[in-house]
Amino acid sequence: MIKTDVVIIGGGATGCGIARDLTLRGIHHYLVEKGDFANGATGACHGLLHSGARYVTNDPEAAHECITENIILRKIAKKCVEVTGGLFVRLPGDSRRFRDTFLKSCEDVGIPTEVLSPSRALDLVENLNPAMEEAIRVPDCSIDPFRLCMLNAFTSRHRGGGVLIHHKVIEIVKEKGRCIGVKAQDRFSSQVKEIRAKIIINATGAWGDQIAHLSGSEAPMTLSKGSLIISNHRLTNMVINRLRPPSDGDIIVPNEAVCLAGTTSVPVTDPDAIEVDPREVDIVATQAEQLIPKFGTTRLIRAYTGVRPLLKAPSGDSRNISRGFQIIDHNNGMFSILGGKLSTYRLMAEKMVDAIVGHFGVKVSCTTADVPLEGQEELSGYPLSKRLKEMDNIVCECELVTRDDVEGVINSIGTKHIGDIQHRTRLGMGPCQGGFCTYRALGIMQEIGRVSPEESMHILREFLQRRFRGIRPALWGDQLREEQLVESIYLGILNMEQHQ
Amino acid sequence: MIAREYDVVVIGGGMSGFMASHTLSRKGYKTALISQGDPVCSLSTGCIDVLSRSKDPLSGIRELPDDHPYRLVGEKAVEEALQFFSQIMDKTAIPYTGDPRENREILTPVGTTKTTCLVPRTMAHAQGDAGDYIHVVSFKGLKDFYPSYITSRIANSSFSLFDAKVTSTLSIATRFEEKPFLDEFISWIQDLDTPFGTIALPAVLGMRKPMAVLEELSSKTGRVIFEIPTLPPSIPGMRLFRALKSTLQQAGGHVYWGKPVSSVERRGSRIEAVTLATSGRPSRVYGRAFILASGSFVSGGLFASRTSVQETVFDLPVFVPGPRTDWFNHDFFTPGHAIEKAGILIGPSFRPRESDLENLFVCGSIIAHSEIMKNHCGHGLAIATGCAAANACDKELS
Ligand SMILES: Cc1cc2nc3c(=O)[nH]c(=O)nc-3n(C[C@H](O)[C@H](O)[C@H](O)COP(=O)(O)OP(=O)(O)OC[C@H]3O[C@@H](n4cnc5c(N)ncnc54)[C@H](O)[C@@H]3O)c2cc1C
Ligand SMILES: Cc1cc2nc3c(=O)[nH]c(=O)nc-3n(C[C@H](O)[C@H](O)[C@H](O)COP(=O)(O)OP(=O)(O)OC[C@H]3O[C@@H](n4cnc5c(N)ncnc54)[C@H](O)[C@@H]3O)c2cc1C
Repeated sequence: MIKTDVVIIGGGATGCGIARDLTLRGIHHYLVEKGDFANGATGACHGLLHSGARYVTNDPEAAHECITENIILRKIAKKCVEVTGGLFVRLPGDSRRFRDTFLKSCEDVGIPTEVLSPSRALDLVENLNPAMEEAIRVPDCSIDPFRLCMLNAFTSRHRGGGVLIHHKVIEIVKEKGRCIGVKAQDRFSSQVKEIRAKIIINATGAWGDQIAHLSGSEAPMTLSKGSLIISNHRLTNMVINRLRPPSDGDIIVPNEAVCLAGTTSVPVTDPDAIEVDPREVDIVATQAEQLIPKFGTTRLIRAYTGVRPLLKAPSGDSRNISRGFQIIDHNNGMFSILGGKLSTYRLMAEKMVDAIVGHFGVKVSCTTADVPLEGQEELSGYPLSKRLKEMDNIVCECELVTRDDVEGVINSIGTKHIGDIQHRTRLGMGPCQGGFCTYRALGIMQEIGRVSPEESMHILREFLQRRFRGIRPALWGDQLREEQLVESIYLGILNMEQHQ
Repeated sequence: MIAREYDVVVIGGGMSGFMASHTLSRKGYKTALISQGDPVCSLSTGCIDVLSRSKDPLSGIRELPDDHPYRLVGEKAVEEALQFFSQIMDKTAIPYTGDPRENREILTPVGTTKTTCLVPRTMAHAQGDAGDYIHVVSFKGLKDFYPSYITSRIANSSFSLFDAKVTSTLSIATRFEEKPFLDEFISWIQDLDTPFGTIALPAVLGMRKPMAVLEELSSKTGRVIFEIPTLPPSIPGMRLFRALKSTLQQAGGHVYWGKPVSSVERRGSRIEAVTLATSGRPSRVYGRAFILASGSFVSGGLFASRTSVQETVFDLPVFVPGPRTDWFNHDFFTPGHAIEKAGILIGPSFRPRESDLENLFVCGSIIAHSEIMKNHCGHGLAIATGCAAANACDKELS
């Protein structure tokens, strides 16, 4: 049995942010996540570090939180944020009155804006729809959610906190009506660990109500799925929004070598049973094409979907800290922190920890807004020139990942999970979506004795199934061609369908 | 504009286009074959899948749906086409082995077995279930082949690794063409301390004369040796493609390589010529008849947009199996996604059924209802329909 002060359930941005905040205030804790970091909405989001402008007309309070956090994160999380800037583009037919309200509201909230003529906007982003009326520049940025989680957890891990990924909380241990710990099951060995704590924080986003139920309480939410598509090219170096009230498919965010366009909003009930509907892909692609016409002809490499936990009307015992997120004291030793945005994760963590420090007699106040994330120096990147020299050693041609990169991850975190390698090296993130390199990565894992060949066949099957779920909704054009090729390899050459 | 005239112009340099051209040039026609790029064949294992349903692949043809192209060719003609293929290959450095009436199982790089029919002679002993002891010899750092997949699935097996100093199938195959390398490899293998049995290698035994390399290896070691196909880039696939191309050129067939057909000249219901997109002057190729062998999606013969499917050379009507939401199953491993049925519907004389074009014939994986993955009939279908379309064309011209 493990003993600690606080158990955090959920390794999304919120959970990892809380772990870091607790570390800096000297409170011992364990973070338990059922998948890899960013396994939920955090990893499935758009990766937009909001300036707040998107919300400025209908939720100025949330907009204000966004701009404040935007400035903080640009300072403390340099290696996770790309300061791209953003444009709100007004197309013919879009309301001029909305534009006026937008500019006024930005001014009220304190979001800097600059109105640009079409030609100036086209100078900045040449692929924009030339028929646009105008564009307004705002300080939107692109943010890497996975890195953000990893770096927040890094502080915790290196200063005595416990971080357990691939461990699912299956039970909340109670004594006399109070929650005194959790039981977490290892995904690979099925072994169950018990962790005792004084406070349990439920930071499981869309799964929040499930966890609340395990403790005999509830956390009512409305779930809404949002789907996004990834283009094969970086068609813009700035974040592009449509200048109109928020609706489907109105944001495009550049991210490394690709672009993400989204999203939709469809009510769902089960966060584990979600799938992109090909019709959502059509909606998003059609909208994105209006902002950047090339979206219509570029290759889409994948579609994916995440679940937003939206707050239901606050109930009696909940404290409505902000319209954006909510902290619920279940009055049994468990707290739930729900809603919010990736952009405001740090603020959410701060408020959450503020709410519980009293239990530990700690008076230290929050410093996460001032102390840069630790571990960023180590993410120095890997110069392309060096990679090209090692061409013979490359296992993922799309993203130029070498055998050494793969071995490095396997050895450092000792994983059997192909997703862990993908998140840390970008293996399989390019056009073939792991169709070629996953087989190789598993072969390498076999060679260095991480997995048995039987296991790797099993992992490969699982991977192919998951991969297919991501690309199936966006299969046409070149991506359909690539898919037929990958199918010919696994079902034709390797005949994997008959050997289950 | 440069103009050239032929009896028959074949568009597409894949298995079906080559077999159609071979059939016609053997009958004395002046043929041209135009291809934009390398075919799917060079990615394949080089093994000829015919139909995986029954032990005798040809008898399985009777059970196929009526609209499957094999039904149109007929069992006997499929058998003759496969024999013709073997005859062609017998005269090359990569002879084939196998009986069109008998399927065989060969070992794959993950230790499973794959049903196929005719195989390059370098794979003659690649039966996966023979029960013999198998020692797998692979190469250090080779990216696309991991012998432990195989040894974990086969009881009587082991493996060792040779350091070839290079790590791709292509570069290792190139090294096998060098005599000193081969000698070094042979003496290494002679010193191997393994129980008696067969030796299996990934398919890298040289590009040009694999049988010569294999024979030398066998005679010096006294072992039965065979190749196991690898993932693309696939050496046996490339060997097959090169052999088909060079034998066609030797037989007098003209080959235009690396240029797509960019436009088509029609007069009424006949095609007069096609134009090649060349960097310099465009050239026009005239023919009395044309055979479309441009392949399916992978080769670009078909192209899917978000809402429909186009045939890219003549813009022929394409059979599309329902709306895009229905093209793919939800499960990756369920054989037979509906999109596999997409293609050109053809009539008994291998002409496109829904077009008025009189002198156009169609063969290969672009034909509707082929369902190649589901039936495991890739090269077999290309060979059979290539010969059949050529024969139909011959009837028309004579
Ligand atoms: C499509 C979409 C696009 C978005 N785009 C943006 C954007 O561009 N910018 C922005 O600021 N915000 C965006 N958001 C919102 C943002 O993603 C979320 O608000 C934020 O990531 C929530 O983080 P979280 O840590 O609270 O929840 P999550 O990231 O969902 O984390 C919950 C974690 O709990 C884990 N968990 C669940 N059950 C268990 C269990 N039993 N045991 C252990 N662990 C468990 C899950 O695996 C998961 O990792 C978007 C949301 C969606 C859905
Ligand atoms: C990875 C992979 C592995 C496979 N393995 C096997 C196997 O082991 N055994 C087996 O039996 N089958 C296998 N198959 C299937 C088999 O290879 C194909 O079904 C078969 O070879 C198709 O031949 P084809 O002549 O119809 O077309 P293709 O081989 O697709 O050839 C079409 C040709 O037309 C050309 N072309 C297209 N458009 C134009 C244009 N506008 N102008 C000029 N030229 C054009 C293309 O460049 C191409 O060269 C495999 C398929 C794949 C993808």
